[in-house]
Amino acid sequence: MATDTRVILICSGKGGVGKTTLTANLGISLARQGLATAVLDADFGLRNLDLLLGLENRIVYTAQEVLEEECRLDQALVKHKQESNLSLLPAGNPRMLDWIKPDDMKKIVNMLKDQFNYVLIDCPAGVEDGFKNAMAAAQEAIVVTNPEVSAVRDADRVIGLLNTNSIKPVKLVLNRVRPKMMANQEMLSIDDVTDILALPLLGLVLEDEQVIVSTNRGEPLTLNSLNSPAAKCYSNIAKRLQGEDIPFIDPAEENSGFAAKFRKLMQTKIF
Amino acid sequence: MNSNSEKIMINITDHKYKNWRLYLKNKLKKINSNNIEIDCDNLELSCTDIIELIAIVNENNCRIISFCSTSSKTIITTQSLGYKSHFIVEDHSSKTLNINNKDFHPSKTLFHQGTLRSGEYLDSPGNLLILGDVNPGAIVSAEGNIMIWGRLLGIAHAGSKGNSKATISAIQLRPVQLRISNKVARGPKEKPQDGMAEQAKIDSEKIIILPFEPSSSKI
Repeated sequence: MATDTRVILICSGKGGVGKTTLTANLGISLARQGLATAVLDADFGLRNLDLLLGLENRIVYTAQEVLEEECRLDQALVKHKQESNLSLLPAGNPRMLDWIKPDDMKKIVNMLKDQFNYVLIDCPAGVEDGFKNAMAAAQEAIVVTNPEVSAVRDADRVIGLLNTNSIKPVKLVLNRVRPKMMANQEMLSIDDVTDILALPLLGLVLEDEQVIVSTNRGEPLTLNSLNSPAAKCYSNIAKRLQGEDIPFIDPAEENSGFAAKFRKLMQTKIF
Repeated sequence: MNSNSEKIMINITDHKYKNWRLYLKNKLKKINSNNIEIDCDNLELSCTDIIELIAIVNENNCRIISFCSTSSKTIITTQSLGYKSHFIVEDHSSKTLNINNKDFHPSKTLFHQGTLRSGEYLDSPGNLLILGDVNPGAIVSAEGNIMIWGRLLGIAHAGSKGNSKATISAIQLRPVQLRISNKVARGPKEKPQDGMAEQAKIDSEKIIILPFEPSSSKI
């Protein structure tokens, strides 16, 4: 059906910076725009994309069974309860750590390409085999990082590896931005980060306690809590991916009267 | 087949068919050593290519000891996969460049364009000229001088074989660490002035940083 499927790798190098959360929320936002979207959990050793989407109890098969022809692709795809345009495909189960190879990944993604407009690959942390597998099938990439020295360093390493594999374009999402700390120069600024990484910025995501709540509930923020600061950031990122020109939030402005600015944002955009 | 453990060099450039995979497979059948150095010549190989190459070699019960190539991209790729690799400087006839400075060997200058990112490593048997940044976590090394047309934020080692006259120059010189010959120094903490190129060299047994003066430096 879709001929111009975009296969996007979501990676970071460092763990815990928000790859899986971004994948889940982008998936929901894109699906909501009417785009057939598949999220592929390539982090099969420690898989938790299904938890974030609240789909853990619906998984019966994984990509592994599809490759071994024990089941059909549509049996392994788990459709989201509320957002029917979104499907999850777990790459494997945690008990089998070494079955998947870059070629397997390519096969699976090629199958998905027939049915979907977007394939988002949630990459495992690290730069070892798991990352190299996940990278094999991707055409473009989003690198997630936090405004911290260690996360930026790891992101830099990952970008280097993506470059040697000629994956482009590579875009940057700066996650867990705290406007107050940035203003007080207690945190790396946006310029500090983009200066080192030299990538086009796809979006900023503000630090938001609601993220933890939504993760535990298995309901991504973009699904039900569209008014939370992070949810807005996520859906803006989804729109930018689709080519819409949406201005970036300014952390400095966020800081001066956070609540006021927040209310203003609520009135202006979004559904 | 494994009677011999001597290192054997295989050049994988197939001038006739341009298919290094087939070429390598054929060559591997004929050799009687299991330690191999791969000469990638001027091929630009990606991470995936190198992984494939390693798989081909392993299938034939051989082991790759190291790589060499004239493409800096291939060198960086193999090094980021954890292999030892040597950069071979192509001898573009240097006769046309008749410069009176006896320390200047244009043919022995490795030129790299692009940013070196964290974890990447570039080594030159002569001088090293980089057009781009050297990010924190990256290491550059040269037997001669290092010049960076960009920011040096990682580690640089000039005169790696003991030349204490070697220098390190950059448009913004803010390295984590500087090494010249056998001397090591930590980088300065404070931010430099914008637009002030600087040069590090050894002066009375210590590494010092001075404003860059092109006339004083023998490149």
